[in-house]
Amino acid sequence: MDRQGFLARVGEYHTNGWRLAIINATTVPPVDAAEPGIFEISWGFAKDLEFETIREQVTTADEVPSVSDFFGAAFLYENEMRELFGLNVTGIGLDLGGQLYKTSVKIPFSHAAVKARLAATAAATAAASGKKA
Amino acid sequence: MKRTIVPFGPQHPVLAEPLVLDLVLEDEKVIDAIPTIGYIHRGLEAMVDRVEYTEMGFVVERICGICSFMHGMGYCLALESIMSVEVPDRARWLRIIWAEISRIQSHLLWLGLGADAFGFENLFMHCWRMREEILDIFEKTTGGRIIHSVNRIGGVKRDISDSELIAIVARLDGLGKAFEATARVFANDPSIRHRMSGVGVLSMADARAVDAVGPMARASGVRMDTRLAGQNLYDQIEFEPVLETAGDCLARVVVRMREVRQSIDLIHQMVDKMPKGEGLPLENKPRGNPSGETFTRLEQPRGEVVYYVKANGTKYLERFRARTPTFANIPAMIKLVKGCDLADVPNIILTIDPCISCTER
Repeated sequence: MDRQGFLARVGEYHTNGWRLAIINATTVPPVDAAEPGIFEISWGFAKDLEFETIREQVTTADEVPSVSDFFGAAFLYENEMRELFGLNVTGIGLDLGGQLYKTSVKIPFSHAAVKARLAATAAATAAASGKKA
Repeated sequence: MKRTIVPFGPQHPVLAEPLVLDLVLEDEKVIDAIPTIGYIHRGLEAMVDRVEYTEMGFVVERICGICSFMHGMGYCLALESIMSVEVPDRARWLRIIWAEISRIQSHLLWLGLGADAFGFENLFMHCWRMREEILDIFEKTTGGRIIHSVNRIGGVKRDISDSELIAIVARLDGLGKAFEATARVFANDPSIRHRMSGVGVLSMADARAVDAVGPMARASGVRMDTRLAGQNLYDQIEFEPVLETAGDCLARVVVRMREVRQSIDLIHQMVDKMPKGEGLPLENKPRGNPSGETFTRLEQPRGEVVYYVKANGTKYLERFRARTPTFANIPAMIKLVKGCDLADVPNIILTIDPCISCTER
């Protein structure tokens, strides 16, 4: 991603009085692609009743700059993206060092973890239909 | 000065839910607060790849036992937006009536917890006694006191008869009168004022800087409420968000008290305006599988919730995400806790009305 251009756009939202409403990451299929795979991040901004997003596609190898300098509340979303998606978010205002969530599966939205979940679901479905038959 | 780290939670007398904070203290002053919110993380969002979208609404309802109705409603609104489903009028009105009843229930629950936290157990009992009446209304109209399961993609499962609606309004009026006596104690009792007034002040500028939402922001004078967007029929009734300007713990209590009264008034307006009659359509069932994505915003009792849904034309969603109000208010809570006295931490934390089940999903 274009780091300078991205931060300039975020800075513009901040200067114009928008607030950060959400940062959301999504694991982009196909999940059976070779790691690191692609993730989509949406930064959602709200002002009064308007809502706009900035969207970027990244891999775990890319550096995703923190927007904490503009929006202090970003740190929770950013720690979450790092812990649940394995994204390389840098410069987080309050870096919780992987201590935000306690999950049984490490990085549960990584391509590998999603692939494993889908395989387990398919196996369970197949077993259930076999029993019925 | 020597620093001490005091763990606050996951089990604490004032916490109904397991929030975890490491409080860094210098003497009795809190210098820093480091949150850990994963204690009851259930991974509900990850279930989209094995639970069909038609059933996912029941999972979403279970994000939280207090906002369950509005979680279900928000999920259905998002899917209806993606699938271009037009919801019948009566169903839309019924949804917002239940949503406002839900708000009253949530605020009464919180006011009770707040009273318990500052040691006023009698007030706690009064608030929860009144909340029981709301739960009775839910049970009678939906069949469930906590989990209601009346929202469907395309409408609602149950109707409330016109005569029952009139009875609900009368019951809420009675509850509103009973609530006045309790509200006077909250607003005027010297011991409550001593604990809450001037404590945990969040200025309007700070509320904006940390992107606070809901009663937390409105108690600091920020005119912010997604109901102002006029979606979900709020443009057809008279509505103006409740604002206070002091920004302290007491202001957050007062905002929620006034919102209880306001919700009763809104339900009056809704019942007056909704289409009347028996046998009106309640649901337009969607066809096929959803394809597309949307962000949907809704004003829950604790503030703005944002849902993101991405669908790929199969019966499984690609992504479901709920950014809950408590998640958005944690930065504000940390800001308030820093610099306060240790003794004020419980009241400050409680007055953001934290819902950890919502936050961790």
